[in-house]
Amino acid sequence: MKTIFRATDRFLADVRQDLARPHPFAAERVGFVSVRATAAGDHILVLLAADYHPLADDEYVDDVTVGAMMGQEAIRKALELAMMRSVGMIHVHMHEHRGRPHFSKIDLREQIKFVPDFFKVRREMPHGAVVFSHDSANGRIWLDRDTIVNISEFNVVGRRLSIDVVRPGSGLDRLA
Amino acid sequence: MTAQGDFSRQRFLGEDSEKLLAEARVAIVGVGGGGSHIAQQLAHVGVGHFRLIDPQDIEASNLNRLVGATENDVICSTPKVEIAKRVIQSVRPLADVRVSKSEWQAAADLLKDAHVVFGCIDGYRQRMYLESAARRFGLPYIDIGMDVTRLADRHYAVAGQMISTRPGGPCMRCLGFLTQQRLDREENDYADAGINPQVVWTNGTLASLAVGAFVRLLTPWFDAPNDFDWLELDGNNQLVSRSRQPEYSIKGPCGHFSANDLGDPFLDLSARRVPKEQP
Repeated sequence: MKTIFRATDRFLADVRQDLARPHPFAAERVGFVSVRATAAGDHILVLLAADYHPLADDEYVDDVTVGAMMGQEAIRKALELAMMRSVGMIHVHMHEHRGRPHFSKIDLREQIKFVPDFFKVRREMPHGAVVFSHDSANGRIWLDRDTIVNISEFNVVGRRLSIDVVRPGSGLDRLA
Repeated sequence: MTAQGDFSRQRFLGEDSEKLLAEARVAIVGVGGGGSHIAQQLAHVGVGHFRLIDPQDIEASNLNRLVGATENDVICSTPKVEIAKRVIQSVRPLADVRVSKSEWQAAADLLKDAHVVFGCIDGYRQRMYLESAARRFGLPYIDIGMDVTRLADRHYAVAGQMISTRPGGPCMRCLGFLTQQRLDREENDYADAGINPQVVWTNGTLASLAVGAFVRLLTPWFDAPNDFDWLELDGNNQLVSRSRQPEYSIKGPCGHFSANDLGDPFLDLSARRVPKEQP
């Protein structure tokens, strides 16, 4: 399935600005982007960024083995948003460089632990994770608890339209 | 590769412009007088993927303006989407062209994975619906339209507009183009020089403005000064000018569309899954 993530440039600028803020003890910030979606047949899924939900400073767990560890309260709030607003939830963080970012092994390990739980509260929507860099992104989406697809294209809409196609073999495709 | 060719004469558009254009997916709703020009120009520019939507077959009265149409098409009542497809593929044989001979509401799947929607349709209300669909799918919308108004006996005013809007910016209602007054009266006097009068040169001018807005949106050729474009064509004097109406109409951020209006409210991925085979 071809999966497209679409957002406005202003929305993504706000997300990046928040994720770039230093945290009192975590090495990086994380958050959730709630998405609405539409599908064209069984082959195309379009995710539309709706709102950004940053984690509060006290919703991080002090864990030096990872860049950022979410506390249970943060995950509970995200689950509640998915349930109450009928949205998909995309976990987001940012790598401080330009060019295509990739998830770390820790990212991949941790995503498996919490993303499938969103299907307990909102099974009709896609959920997943996206990692941003300063000018690009990468991500993967769960269509159900067990089916993971890579995001194949990022569209950023503003005064300039950006079409960022994730090429097969550029790293993430082997991870989904 | 969808658009092979020598694009050296348009390299000023940017280093990656050829690739950007080849990857672009455009939906053109209405491929009559205006849309057929847009399809042809986008093929020349090197756009790689087209979704063409129009319910109509060509008629004899369309030959005065429909680019690519022939007398034989009139005899055969060829669908307009097939004429546009033929024009595109005669320029770029490898272009990916998908067509739907239907109302656009019945072919919304062709809009969803597009990058830009071109609206070349009649009527203010239909424009409002199509722009709303573009916003729902998070897409920039580029609209063209022309009108001929009788001023006095044998005196007519030919006018038109090209409006480009994008999610996050003002919509055609914010700009003051789609007003309640226009919506209310359009059925009676949208044009009073016959039924939707159209001429090829005005359509061609408006289509060129639309293609220019699209190329500026996609390539780093020239930075857009605003979150929208509204160019007015005075067809009698052959003048194009920037509309000043938005200066008076825009009251703040667009309040006509919100995040709640995105996507398909009835999407249910769980209903689409193929059951796993039993061991």
